[in-house]
Amino acid sequence: MRLLASTFLLLLVSGAAYAAPPSDPLGSPMWADMVERVLEGGEVVFDDKVKVVVPSIVENQAQVPVTADARALPGVTKLVVFADLNPIQHVLTLTPGKSAPYIGFRMKVEQGTPVRAAAQTADGVWHVGSVYLDAAGGGCSAPAMARNEESWSTTVGQTQGRIWRDISGLARARFRIRHPMDTGLARDNTPAFYIESVKVTSSAGAPLATLQMFEPVSEDPTVTLMLPLAPSDGAIDIEGRDINGGLFRSQITAPWRQSNVVVPRG
Amino acid sequence: MMTAKWLASASAPALALALTLSTPARADVSIEDILKDATTTNDVVTSGLGTQGQRYSPLKTIDKDNVSQLAPAWAMSLGGEKMRGQQAQPLVKDGVMYVTGSYSRLWAIDVKTGHEIWQYDHRLPEGILPCCDVVNRGAALINDKVIFGTLDAKLVALDRKTGKVVWTKEIDDFKGGYSYTAAPLIVPSKAHGPLVVTGVSGGEFGIVGRVEARKADNGDLVWSRPTIEGHVGTLDGKPSTMTGKKGESWPGDLWKTGGGATWLGGTYDPETNLIFVGAGNPAPWNSHMRPGDNKWSCSRIAIDPETGEIKWGYQTTPNDGWDFDGVNEVVSFDLNGTKAVATADRNGFFYVLGREDGKFISGTPFVEKITWAKEIGKDGRPVYNPDNRPGNPKDSKDGKKGESVFAVPSFLGGKNQQPMAYSPDTKLFYVPANEWGMDIHNEPVTYKKGAAYLGAGFTIKPIFEDHIGALKAVDPATGKIVWTYKNRAPLWGGVLTTGSNLVFFGTPEGDLKALDATDGKELWSFNTGSGIVAPPITWEQDGEQFVSVLSGWGGAVPLWGGEVAKTVANLNQGGMLWTFKLPKKLAAAQ
Repeated sequence: MRLLASTFLLLLVSGAAYAAPPSDPLGSPMWADMVERVLEGGEVVFDDKVKVVVPSIVENQAQVPVTADARALPGVTKLVVFADLNPIQHVLTLTPGKSAPYIGFRMKVEQGTPVRAAAQTADGVWHVGSVYLDAAGGGCSAPAMARNEESWSTTVGQTQGRIWRDISGLARARFRIRHPMDTGLARDNTPAFYIESVKVTSSAGAPLATLQMFEPVSEDPTVTLMLPLAPSDGAIDIEGRDINGGLFRSQITAPWRQSNVVVPRG
Repeated sequence: MMTAKWLASASAPALALALTLSTPARADVSIEDILKDATTTNDVVTSGLGTQGQRYSPLKTIDKDNVSQLAPAWAMSLGGEKMRGQQAQPLVKDGVMYVTGSYSRLWAIDVKTGHEIWQYDHRLPEGILPCCDVVNRGAALINDKVIFGTLDAKLVALDRKTGKVVWTKEIDDFKGGYSYTAAPLIVPSKAHGPLVVTGVSGGEFGIVGRVEARKADNGDLVWSRPTIEGHVGTLDGKPSTMTGKKGESWPGDLWKTGGGATWLGGTYDPETNLIFVGAGNPAPWNSHMRPGDNKWSCSRIAIDPETGEIKWGYQTTPNDGWDFDGVNEVVSFDLNGTKAVATADRNGFFYVLGREDGKFISGTPFVEKITWAKEIGKDGRPVYNPDNRPGNPKDSKDGKKGESVFAVPSFLGGKNQQPMAYSPDTKLFYVPANEWGMDIHNEPVTYKKGAAYLGAGFTIKPIFEDHIGALKAVDPATGKIVWTYKNRAPLWGGVLTTGSNLVFFGTPEGDLKALDATDGKELWSFNTGSGIVAPPITWEQDGEQFVSVLSGWGGAVPLWGGEVAKTVANLNQGGMLWTFKLPKKLAAAQ
């Protein structure tokens, strides 16, 4: 009853403020609610230019690789990834700045669910790409691997990564930050504990991209971004902050500054 | 499980909407609010109902005639399966209650309904080393923040509105035995604005006690003051002065791991502008290894909030051999026109000292039996019974175990962490005491980081058949016990007294009780369902007087209790915040 009542209230509120969103090709029962909560208003269109890539078979529900790619769409200011049928739906938000509206990462899924990427353009319109991910259950309520390891508190925040020059002229940066990313839903009562923000800047101090993350991002978040890193920039600085106020700073050097190319001798 | 979570998250926006409509505006908690907390009845913004720690409320709505009608207004579960000892004193400001719980958790609650507004769960690492249960004794409010310490020795400042972390600072490395369980103390300073004052916990692990002050805005350290002689403090990032003289009352290098943990926090007296902090037992427990007074272990010290300099110190148990931590709260009061403080020590003596200079005024027993000392001499030093000090292991045949003695009080003390109250109306202190002793012997021990550093073995025993707990009304002018209220299990929860001459306290059996402050007669009792080991509070909201207390059995007694464990064997854990008030009709009739 309570659920019905509050859903009714939500519909009333959303009905007053926004035009009805287009009907969902995947037929998700949560679609209208997702538009209201995650996309917070603005016009919504389904757009093939926004791609979501997931594996055809999920081998590990706690580490499902996802790529959200809106590079085909010009002028993207925000890229939001969410999964309708997860207990916690909002996975992350990328504010790309001058970097590409593209992110690769891994997430937890509790059951089969639509996985969506919504790219907002400057006119406020959300362009949504969707895919249905077929999965067995349990990724969000299983305790983190770190649970049985006493060492997580000494390794938390440690970051490894690498940068490659991409054919597009951007730099493809991939990094992993050690963190339990606890959902707070595990049976062992471990509270939610996750990295809530990641800022990426060039070593010269220019902001490149910012990320907002939530519980569904997998343990030891592994993220791929496409950054406008000039060849003259030697490195990127990464600053993460978790919900306990823990700050993690690291630097990943660009390999082109320390070339290992051996010129063959004639 | 999953379904419940699902429903909760699906209806969250509607709830959030309702909350924003009904939650009252939250003003900042200014340093003035904190300094006048003892006289403002519509909020409780300090631990101790005022920085002096009197735990006295002038409220009179609930009185001797109507207290028997006191009934629950609401109760809130602390949830989870993390029900351990709940020792926190709640705080109330602008219709919101802030309370901490076991395992480093903190809640903001709507006082009208008892519904949670937000919850902060600190993610604890696996290897924390709390000696005496995973407790927390409360938070501090200042400006737009609520601040508390965690079992992994961090200080966390949260936004009062959202529960989000504003800043966090590591007090010390939890792997070395550090943790923090006391409520932080907020004091004013001219140079740095409001300061957050904390100590350290971990006295059984050979840590060195210290008091630290940080800026409330960002947690930056302003000063640090070690409690043990020979250690150097800091001020504004630079070394300041040494505490005492190196080695003056310590042999060899033992001062380096000398203990003196400041694990119970402190009080502040605005009249003398002094912070009062107690320092715990010296390490190790085996006193034969450290001949000398071992300052400032087992002491009360008065600290200047601007600089962190010690203004005076008073040692209750020099060369302690019984784990008589000197941490118990120092309560400022007026002794017939003299600015005085009183403190009820673990060692069984009730001390009255000059507030400005720490000068000894009196030291009298507040428990029935004391064996380790004959009395406190006119010079303020104990007159020891040398036979009652555990024997030196070196005098035994194999050098491994010294002679065992039966000493009273036990190491859990004539009074432990549970705070006493003082009524300026009756001019009596209400001391939650315990009557128990212990078999104790000493063993050789060496220091190892993160390992218990005791050098002693012990078993606690009751000394009366029918009771251990004893709430005592102590007259500070004479040292006389005016009345005693006996309780079967040890008292561990702290006391509150009011302007209508009522005394509120809880028992491990789970009963929150109200007594007549003048004669100790029981007027009201309510079974909260689990043991009470936390101090009650009272405040006024929309013309009604409320009383709140946490219920949740735990703490040191079930872990260290020896034979005493029998008196608490049938008590169950819990985790419930109870709030009481008079039925409206009765309250209106007043």
